[in-house]
Amino acid sequence: MLAKLNQCTSGLWADAAHKLWFPDQASTYAAESDSTYSMILWVSIMFFVPLMIVMGYFVLKYKKAKGGKATSRLRHHNGLEITWTVVPCIFLVIMFVRGSWGYLDMSIPPEGARQVDVTAYKWAWSMDYGNGAIHPELHVVLDQPTKMVMRSTDVLHSFFVPAFRIKRDIVPGRYNIAWFEATMASEKISDEELAVILADHKESGDKQWDYDRHQVTEDGYRYFDLFCAEYCGQDHSTMQSYVVVHETQEDLDQWIKKISSRGETPPAEYGEKLYKLRNCVGCHSLEANKIVVGPSFHNLFGYDRELATGEKVLGDEQYIRESILDPKAKVVNGFNPQMPSFKGQLSDDDINSLIAFIKQQSDRGSTAADLAEEKSADEKAADAAE
Amino acid sequence: MASGAVPQVSGRDAGFVSDSENYLKNSSGVLSWACTLDHKRIGIMYLVGILASFLGGGLLAMAIRAHLMSPDGALFEDNNTYNQIFTLHGAIMVFLFIIPSIPAALGNFMVPVMLGAKDVAFPRLNLSSFYLWVGGAIFFVGALLMNGLDTGWTFYTPYSTSTDTSVVMATLGAFILGFSSIFTGLNFIVTINTMRPPGMTWFRMPLFLWATYATSIIQVLATPVLGITLLLLIAEKTMHIGIFDPEFNGDPVTFQHFFWFYSHPAVYIMILPAFGVISEIVSVHSHKGIFGYRFIAYSSIALALLSFLVWGHHMFTSGMSHVTVIVFSALTFTVSVPSAIKVFNWVATMYKGAISLTTPMCYALSFLFLFTIGGLTGLFLGTISTDLHLHDTYFVVAHFHYVMMGGTVIAFVGGLFHWWPKMSGKMFNEAWGRVSAVVVFIGFNMTFFPQFLLGNQGMPRRYASYDPEFAWLHQLSSIGAFTLGIGLLIAGLVLLHSIFNGKQAPANPWGGATLEWHCTSPPPFFNFKNPPAVGDPYEFDNVEYDSATDNYVFTDLPRERVPEKTPESTPASAGGQS
Repeated sequence: MLAKLNQCTSGLWADAAHKLWFPDQASTYAAESDSTYSMILWVSIMFFVPLMIVMGYFVLKYKKAKGGKATSRLRHHNGLEITWTVVPCIFLVIMFVRGSWGYLDMSIPPEGARQVDVTAYKWAWSMDYGNGAIHPELHVVLDQPTKMVMRSTDVLHSFFVPAFRIKRDIVPGRYNIAWFEATMASEKISDEELAVILADHKESGDKQWDYDRHQVTEDGYRYFDLFCAEYCGQDHSTMQSYVVVHETQEDLDQWIKKISSRGETPPAEYGEKLYKLRNCVGCHSLEANKIVVGPSFHNLFGYDRELATGEKVLGDEQYIRESILDPKAKVVNGFNPQMPSFKGQLSDDDINSLIAFIKQQSDRGSTAADLAEEKSADEKAADAAE
Repeated sequence: MASGAVPQVSGRDAGFVSDSENYLKNSSGVLSWACTLDHKRIGIMYLVGILASFLGGGLLAMAIRAHLMSPDGALFEDNNTYNQIFTLHGAIMVFLFIIPSIPAALGNFMVPVMLGAKDVAFPRLNLSSFYLWVGGAIFFVGALLMNGLDTGWTFYTPYSTSTDTSVVMATLGAFILGFSSIFTGLNFIVTINTMRPPGMTWFRMPLFLWATYATSIIQVLATPVLGITLLLLIAEKTMHIGIFDPEFNGDPVTFQHFFWFYSHPAVYIMILPAFGVISEIVSVHSHKGIFGYRFIAYSSIALALLSFLVWGHHMFTSGMSHVTVIVFSALTFTVSVPSAIKVFNWVATMYKGAISLTTPMCYALSFLFLFTIGGLTGLFLGTISTDLHLHDTYFVVAHFHYVMMGGTVIAFVGGLFHWWPKMSGKMFNEAWGRVSAVVVFIGFNMTFFPQFLLGNQGMPRRYASYDPEFAWLHQLSSIGAFTLGIGLLIAGLVLLHSIFNGKQAPANPWGGATLEWHCTSPPPFFNFKNPPAVGDPYEFDNVEYDSATDNYVFTDLPRERVPEKTPESTPASAGGQS
């Protein structure tokens, strides 16, 4: 306890100037926002401290035993009252003007800013870099303005990067725009260090990358936190993402290339990656009886499922594809239709990979192909019989 | 003046009433309470209900802070439980506790007495407003217990229209509570307008009445908007009429406008009565007339009116037009001026006074400290560029708790101690009362000050779990919350203890000059035997301490019944034309 307290206090003093109050100043807004903050802080202290000293002084000085009498009958003083009405007004005008200037600077994105389409949904982020490159992390380039066109597929969310001092609600039914220019690059750790961390991750058996534990992204970059700041239901507090600021455009392009296609990875393995990246894992478990939010993927494929309408439907490729693109079409009995549509967010190859991965979770997955063949053989036989 | 040597006590008794006169004992039995039309009994019933809600909301707050002791959540198994707990905490505290706390409990008891009236204008409406509160509370809490509620107390769409928790029942409960609030406000407006006794001009009204009046205006004008909004929300949820939900071509920001058009003024429904309480306490316990009476009175009305113009500052980040954002920022700053004026006036009132550090005064000093911090931190949120960083973080949580809890709740507890001898007829243990004030003050700052730092660092609110770097501030805050809980528990025990073991309270234990200190403690059924003589409510010259009875007495009675028209010669400070 004491050691902890000591650690806290020494930490406090070490960066009393900044860290106690704010995270890093990593965008062009940060310095302006912080200096406005400091100005208001000093004005507040200037009013608060003398006022409390005067109050304390009065209490000590004019404290009287029961029955004592006040020694003044002063009940009003126009000069005094006008002074303490007018003087605060002057400070308020200064604060208002500074705050509004700062805001106007932030409101109009500059020409030629790089665009990222941001989609927020329960409870994850997807950043679309164009050409089918979609990833939950936000990657941008140092000293270049980035404009985000943001939409939500379900409820209110809010895009918040403390290090950039930027926050913007994401309102379903509207496109809200925000932009920023990062001024601090994310460090990339060496390959050896990354190898150690990757090994550690593999050993831990975590399904998802644990950012808090590893303190770097899966690609070995340090990052800034990105939070959802508007309450959005059950897993609001886990709706976080990470911002990586690349030193150069080439570095970013390379990263985009790396994430944008399956490459040589086998479909099922890539499907597993998508399952984590696109946060299917947030709602669908892989275990038999574990319901997170939506139905489990265990034994989904090849089995019948009962729908809310009472119908039964076979969990085949067609059903899975439809459920990804139009989740409300066939809702499994006992669940809420609250999954967002991934239409336009997943390529055909992505969907194929996901289906391959889901197949792996079912004991009928491997026989499915045979079933289909049998079925078509039956049909053929039937045709022949005709 | 030496106590005991009081010149003319004019043979008045110490102010103890006989049992038959006393409002608590003039009739007995459950029905005599349940069907009472006496504003004092209704006030006491409200007080019991409100304190029960406060206890419930407080225990939920403890649960929240216990959960946040660890980054991954220490108490609840899943996030859903946490979400429901913080929703319950907010909804109970706002709708069932803070909004009715001072106006409905202390106000109901004190407004007619301070006014010198026998009762409120509509005693039956008053009783019905209490039962509406009970009905709303049952509906509300019942709904919460049945299926839970996880929307946060703001019911933001489209989350509230899509979740399958009991949104409809809870909003109906809030709707009913809204009527209770409107009726109370209406009753006070009519009472203050029509039932002032001869001589009680507007500017001879105690400031608590001014504050109550201003509050009532807001209650009557703003609450219907909440009612309509909640009905629209229910219609949207059940019939998909397409106002708030984008899936049916509605706009969620419209809901925010409607909601805050009520709920920002509602903040002033919560804090204005507290200003009234503090004006009374500071003046009475400094034994000196309030400084700048008219400035305080006018600033109450100014706040009531300005409060309708600033709702947009809750939505700087939501995507309103830039002009709208800047206009709302400018308007927001205007509300800080009247609040600042009041703080300066309260401190100035203490200048060359005769200050008694009684329990109510300790709470009032605590209020001045905490509310000033609450008010000043509002400036960071009214300034747009800093608000963009701080909005929806713990900075906001800390700010509104400093205002609502450090302001309203502390004033409520202070007011409760201040008027407790009058209401219960019993004196409480002063030493323990002061201990509770100190523990509450320390616990409060320890709970909420770290939250400003959390907000600066970017910790969003309403998170069931958080990044480990925020842990030590959260733990500090939780320890503070338990301290605060203990402080309030002590305060509760002090009051409970006084009921059973307290000394009989004299009519005027603090030396106040307003009318409630002229009638006995507890007041007789009809408050005053004879219509009271009305004078300056803050004139302390003829209030003398009588050590024999531990009571303050009015040495001579300058308060001749004044003719209905105020004479020209009345001093300006008393409300006449100078």
